[in-house]
Amino acid sequence: MPEFTPEELALPPQKYEYLDHTADVQLHSWGNSLIEAFEQCGIAMFGYMTELESVEIKQCSEIEATGHDLESLLFHFLDELLFLFSCEPFLICSKLVITEFMTEGEEMHIKCKCYGEEFTIGKHPQGTEVKAITYSAMQIVNEPEQNNFELFVIIDI
Amino acid sequence: MVVRNYNQELEYLEKINSYCWKIKKGFQPNMNVEGVFYVNQTLEKLMLDELRNACRPGMVGGFLPGVKQIANVAALPGIVGRSVGLPDIHSGYGFAIGNMAAFDMGDPNSVVSPGGVGFDINCGVRLLRTNLFEQDVLPVKEQLAQSLFDHIPVGVGSKGIIPMNSKDLEEALEMGMDWSLREGYIWAEDKEHCEEYGRMLNADPSKVSMRAKKRGLPQLGTLGAGNHYAEIQVVDEIYDKWAACKMGIEEVGQVCVMIHSGSRGFGHQVATDALVQMEKAMKRDNIETNDRQLACARINSVEGQDYLKSMAAAANFAWVNRSSMTFLSRQAFAKQFRVTPDDLDMHVIYDVSHNIAKVEEHIVDGKQKTLLVHRKGSTRAFPPHHPLIPVDYQLTGQPVLIGGTMGTCSYVMTGTEQGMLETFGSTCHGAGRALSRAKSRRNIEYTEVLRRLEDMGISIRVASPKLVMEEAPESYKNVTDVVNTCHAAGISKKAIKLRPIAVIKG
Repeated sequence: MPEFTPEELALPPQKYEYLDHTADVQLHSWGNSLIEAFEQCGIAMFGYMTELESVEIKQCSEIEATGHDLESLLFHFLDELLFLFSCEPFLICSKLVITEFMTEGEEMHIKCKCYGEEFTIGKHPQGTEVKAITYSAMQIVNEPEQNNFELFVIIDI
Repeated sequence: MVVRNYNQELEYLEKINSYCWKIKKGFQPNMNVEGVFYVNQTLEKLMLDELRNACRPGMVGGFLPGVKQIANVAALPGIVGRSVGLPDIHSGYGFAIGNMAAFDMGDPNSVVSPGGVGFDINCGVRLLRTNLFEQDVLPVKEQLAQSLFDHIPVGVGSKGIIPMNSKDLEEALEMGMDWSLREGYIWAEDKEHCEEYGRMLNADPSKVSMRAKKRGLPQLGTLGAGNHYAEIQVVDEIYDKWAACKMGIEEVGQVCVMIHSGSRGFGHQVATDALVQMEKAMKRDNIETNDRQLACARINSVEGQDYLKSMAAAANFAWVNRSSMTFLSRQAFAKQFRVTPDDLDMHVIYDVSHNIAKVEEHIVDGKQKTLLVHRKGSTRAFPPHHPLIPVDYQLTGQPVLIGGTMGTCSYVMTGTEQGMLETFGSTCHGAGRALSRAKSRRNIEYTEVLRRLEDMGISIRVASPKLVMEEAPESYKNVTDVVNTCHAAGISKKAIKLRPIAVIKG
């Protein structure tokens, strides 16, 4: 089992909420930077699958995602996280740390360390299954001048 | 886009009769055909309220009312007849859920749209009968519910128990229920009572991404979460004795098993992959739609064909999935009653797909045409004598299985000639959501929901009890209203009503 530093094990404060949508659920996250809002958005998705208090940090996987604009970058970022959960290593995460965040140029790029453990029925209460990420009513508020960073994503459940 | 107030919007809607409304051209831009929706008095109010709310000043966001979505679909290239909204319609991704639309295969501009199928490709309902009666099951109801729950993997993060490797998966994707039969999980007769005989022949696993296969492999033979369920049901009322008889339902009190599930992560990923591909194809072919969510591609384009082939593979996945759970249900019953499933007469009555696109022959303006029929939250309902329905149901019409919500009734209907003419042989699929999940969670206590089910004599086994209020009956439209509307409008005919005595959910 890998060793984690106390810093790695410390959980960030919650900066997300779930908003109303008829058939699905809308994730709303925010932060002091776009990076933080992205990280929080990913956690919000995991928080719908289980109760995050039950998740211990025991392993770490790295994911990469690309996109041609911020919306598609967010879409693929969440899709990668969903994939991480859906098959090997079946990882449920309580902490995400984005280590690379390239939003300049033709292709945008993200690298993220995902901390958590393998989803285990019995240990982790079963929440709702996320079927897919959607572009439906996706909003990215990116206003560095106002220090205002917010994301809105509808996930299909 | 023109902004109109509610009364101005209403001028585009016309009530044709007590159960049917027309949506005139101009309601949304570029409509090629008119729209239509079926509602009774109660459902009509829900439908119009949704539109009124969306017309309030200051409404923003991506929430389009179902009636607007029907009209946007009517603007897609190649659509024929009408864009149809069924009584259980509610707002969905691109297409509303409970929306069907047919596209002319002979028109080179016609499109296929993954949004017209939905993320859960070939989500559907299967009904098994037994020769048991309520009094046989009541004394062991709790044990039987527990046994089903132990046999069938349910809920988020559960894994299938049918042994599978990636080679098995490839074969299952190509063969559908022929794979289940070869491996010994089902009976040969099961295939007969299944749309497409449980296998879409144009499935091509090589068109499916590795990602979808990886997501699919661990989940084959799992029920899933959300509105999916397995229920032990009892025949509550028989409306059409002759049709019921053909289905092996003799009397009130007979016990059945209903399974509602789909293609799991596999289908979700196939749909996601296709949407990404089609965004590109739309730019290239200059396909304009009213809503970005209506991503589509020409049927004859590479993207369109690839989607249809991978969708067919996902459909096969779903049939194998429901077949695996049929196997597990038969095992659970056999162990409980210490007789073989055969002796319990556990035959498949029928298996319907309510999220799918199919190539079918229909009469349009007096001419026979080959159409690509999209049904999203809509069930095929072919009339008697249709060549694509099994010999056992040639005289009754195709059985249509309408799953209720947790704790409410389910129905079996049959297809009608009128449905064939008015809705391309399609009808409703279930209750249809009325409240958002978040609202259900705020308004209803989960302990209250569980207690009420108990009071009704329904055993419940659920993987995530704290979320049951999202699926509580008050979160949905009344399934009886929905079914009665279809019956009164003549697009399908009531045969049997079933009520649950045990529910297994994710």
